[in-house]
Amino acid sequence: MRKGILGIAVVLLVLLGGLALAQLPGGVPREETLIVDQLTGRVGTPSNFNLWAGWRWQDRGLQQLVCEPLWTVDYATGEIIPGLAAEMPIYSEDFTKMTIKLRQGVSWSDGVPFTADDVVYTIDLHVKTPGLLYHGPMAEFVDKVYKTDDYTVVVELKKPNSRFHSHFLDRWGCLRIMPKHVFEKVEDPVAFEFNPPVGCGPYVLKDYDPAGFWTLWERRGDWEKTPTGMLYGEPKPKYVLFQAFETEEAKILAQLRHELDMAQYAPEGLRVVLEKSNTARAWRKDWPWVVNIDPCITGIMFNNMVEPYNIKDVRWALVLAINMVEYMATAFDFMAPVSPIHLPPVPAYVEAFFNPLEEWLKNFELDLGNGEKFKPYDPEIPAKLAQAAKERGYPVPEDPKAIREIFGMGWWKYAPEVAEKLLKKHGFTKGADGKWYLPNGSPWKMTIVTDTNPAHHHYRNAMAAAEQWRKFGIDATVNATEAFNSLHLMGEFEVGTMWPAAEPWGVGVDLSRTFDVWHSSLLTPIGQAVTLGPGGAARWSDPRLDELLKKMETTNPFTEVEATRLLGLEALKVVVEEMPTIPTYGYCGAVAWDEYYWTNYPGAENPYSQPYQHWPNFKYMLPFLKRVKE
Amino acid sequence: MRFFRDYLAPRLVQYVLVIFCGITAVFFIPRLTGQDPVLEIIAQIQAQGASLDPLAVRNLMETLKELYGLKGSLFEQYLTMWRRVFTLDFGPSFFQFPTPVAQLLRIYLPWTIGLFATSTVLSWALGNIIGGIAGYFSGKSWSKILDAVIMVIRPIPHYIFGVVLLILFAYVWPLFPARGLSIGRGMALNLELVLAILRGSFLPALTLVILGGVVWFQQMKLLVQNVKREDFVEYARVGGVKERRVVFRYVLKNAMLPQVTQLALALGQVFSGVLIVEMVFSYPGMGLLLYRGVTRGDYNLVMGITVLSILTIATAVLLLDLLYPLLDPRIRHR
Repeated sequence: MRKGILGIAVVLLVLLGGLALAQLPGGVPREETLIVDQLTGRVGTPSNFNLWAGWRWQDRGLQQLVCEPLWTVDYATGEIIPGLAAEMPIYSEDFTKMTIKLRQGVSWSDGVPFTADDVVYTIDLHVKTPGLLYHGPMAEFVDKVYKTDDYTVVVELKKPNSRFHSHFLDRWGCLRIMPKHVFEKVEDPVAFEFNPPVGCGPYVLKDYDPAGFWTLWERRGDWEKTPTGMLYGEPKPKYVLFQAFETEEAKILAQLRHELDMAQYAPEGLRVVLEKSNTARAWRKDWPWVVNIDPCITGIMFNNMVEPYNIKDVRWALVLAINMVEYMATAFDFMAPVSPIHLPPVPAYVEAFFNPLEEWLKNFELDLGNGEKFKPYDPEIPAKLAQAAKERGYPVPEDPKAIREIFGMGWWKYAPEVAEKLLKKHGFTKGADGKWYLPNGSPWKMTIVTDTNPAHHHYRNAMAAAEQWRKFGIDATVNATEAFNSLHLMGEFEVGTMWPAAEPWGVGVDLSRTFDVWHSSLLTPIGQAVTLGPGGAARWSDPRLDELLKKMETTNPFTEVEATRLLGLEALKVVVEEMPTIPTYGYCGAVAWDEYYWTNYPGAENPYSQPYQHWPNFKYMLPFLKRVKE
Repeated sequence: MRFFRDYLAPRLVQYVLVIFCGITAVFFIPRLTGQDPVLEIIAQIQAQGASLDPLAVRNLMETLKELYGLKGSLFEQYLTMWRRVFTLDFGPSFFQFPTPVAQLLRIYLPWTIGLFATSTVLSWALGNIIGGIAGYFSGKSWSKILDAVIMVIRPIPHYIFGVVLLILFAYVWPLFPARGLSIGRGMALNLELVLAILRGSFLPALTLVILGGVVWFQQMKLLVQNVKREDFVEYARVGGVKERRVVFRYVLKNAMLPQVTQLALALGQVFSGVLIVEMVFSYPGMGLLLYRGVTRGDYNLVMGITVLSILTIATAVLLLDLLYPLLDPRIRHR
């Protein structure tokens, strides 16, 4: 009996010893592998790489390492990077023709040269095939597509469109070019699994988990024939592993054990990693650590088709009922930059829009009735936030420029007495109990619909807003629901925390992407889904904005830069005046990078590239990484 | 004939009714949540700011409705659902489109059965044997100490217990991976694969065996404490039957009966998996699959998993009812 137990124990020990050795799939050496966290989680369609036909968890490395688009947005450097294209698109005078010059010498990962035939084939196939994601715009706009030589493609459009190139501009998704020689042999391009994927990016598929937890990629032997190689040189990691984690704890443990190099956390998770690891760093080396140049703005959305949020003064009253210092303490512990306008404070926009708009903001007035005016802008908010953060014990810099970088440019005044005037103008009353009553005499109850994930900025905004408005006297509650997206898109909410404006491109001065969703032609009744989620769910439009959008349509963003910028400024002013949604602070990503195996990540001190591993430009970051131990 | 009328027929009717009501409820409940699977996909595509214009989205919504089988009235969808139940073809998963639900079940079920069934049977066997012995010798000090330790372990939630194991064995003593299983698609039956599976499954199994085992332990201990006071045990002991025989043949065997029922019901839970344990250890099981289905409004997937679950549990209960007369002479006698 005892011998038996001893035998079992020995077998177990041997097993565990053997198990401890096997670290990566297929005997891949750890020191040559970059292991990164997969943002959107476990892949639900592990064997399917056909991202033209539906949602395929493209951030598993597919969009970052395999696909090479014509152009990519880099919001950190403010550049548009031409990948398969050799230069920016060339439009005809009347915007009915777009010419694309292609990069020469590129080859697909199976050795076949990339040419204009691939581009023509891709656009053509999308025009003809309804099941493909980009069929809609291609069928609507493309009249003819042809090549004039092996590296020049001309797209003739059915109607003028000065932003047609944007369908090919990668900003976490676009119409990427297909390998013609692969797809032309396929009977059904929608059902085709595209496994293994063939691309012009610098990596090829090595292996993947059939359950979808990880995908492993290997650097191409001929990486110099890819746009990444041509533009930036050899990507340094020989292998890149994308790994999905179901819990933050497992991710933290993996990073502390150097089993994970790049990861994105909730701020609390980031703090644990930075505290416990000697080799981990964040985007900014010091407090507040987080990436605060993300091209995304967070805030509060009103359903402008629901009373009383269809009244401009009510929306403004709710803005002035927010004490932004308290709000930021609750929402994000002072770590994010506030924004008074519907744009994220990415470097390109600070220069083109935030700074030029500041004088206008300072002079902007609200009409309180009876000839009374009020200037709501408070440029001192960053200083107040810095002071409050200092009082909380954070090492806040003294330099005003650094304060502006961390806390933003300014926000709206905390003026409950002015909010009161705006509300009373419309028949709202305040009871002796300090509670607000609607013009019809019933108590003002508000439900803020939000995401169920407490780490998400949606949730954090909802909690902070509810707290502020309760203090002001509104019976505000938060409904965190899995149906968050559906309720917003269908208009079945009154106040919510979906993105308050559509994400802009993040580079250049073209803001059409943000404002397009508010064109009156897209206004959708409640109960019918809006076609563009962020921003569009506000169900708001303005004839002045329609007019500006019309002008934007006939302005070339590449050759008429100043005119494009001025149109953007005017549109921003209209949206600020009307405040259909409340922008609060720029999205912040809490990323941690382990410098045990790899270093020279694009941190705040050297932002040579956007910093996320899930963005398509991740491939352009890899040539800059350095191995710690050569 | 009397057996059929009084025993079998009511149970068969009950079986059919449970299945009908259960499946009908599973059809309607997800549709009451306010979630629209088509909008969930659209939101997912747009979540990171992917560029799709309004027209493309409108087209896509129509296409998806068509593909998902969400066109037509609720009653038409309900009839389609019954057709699918009878053919066991639940259509495609919405969120993991175009993967068929049946294929997802084929991928995940073996992992869940491997982990869940093994650990359930193991925890049942260990918990009952140790609990039975501890119950028989409940006056001994070792039994009291064991009881106290188990009282401390029992209320620990799976999440906390799992994370503690993960911290201990994936961080402090890094014997196991924090990243979960490392099995690629080049699967072949060899030692390396077996070791990798054992390695990835050990901690989740340990969590389930310990936390499941303590429950069986406590139940069995109480049962045995009651049975050992029964007259027939006393007679056996007085009649000179050896203590070992009294413990195993007289006490444990009788106390086991309700535990067998419980085991069958517990095994029926295999389809819903053990969500929390799967999450902590990144284990590819049915719990995670179902969770994703629920949070994304993936009706077909939820339907597929719950229908199988309903069928299995209802069938297990029916079989148990039919087998019980064989196990328990008292029922046979009635």
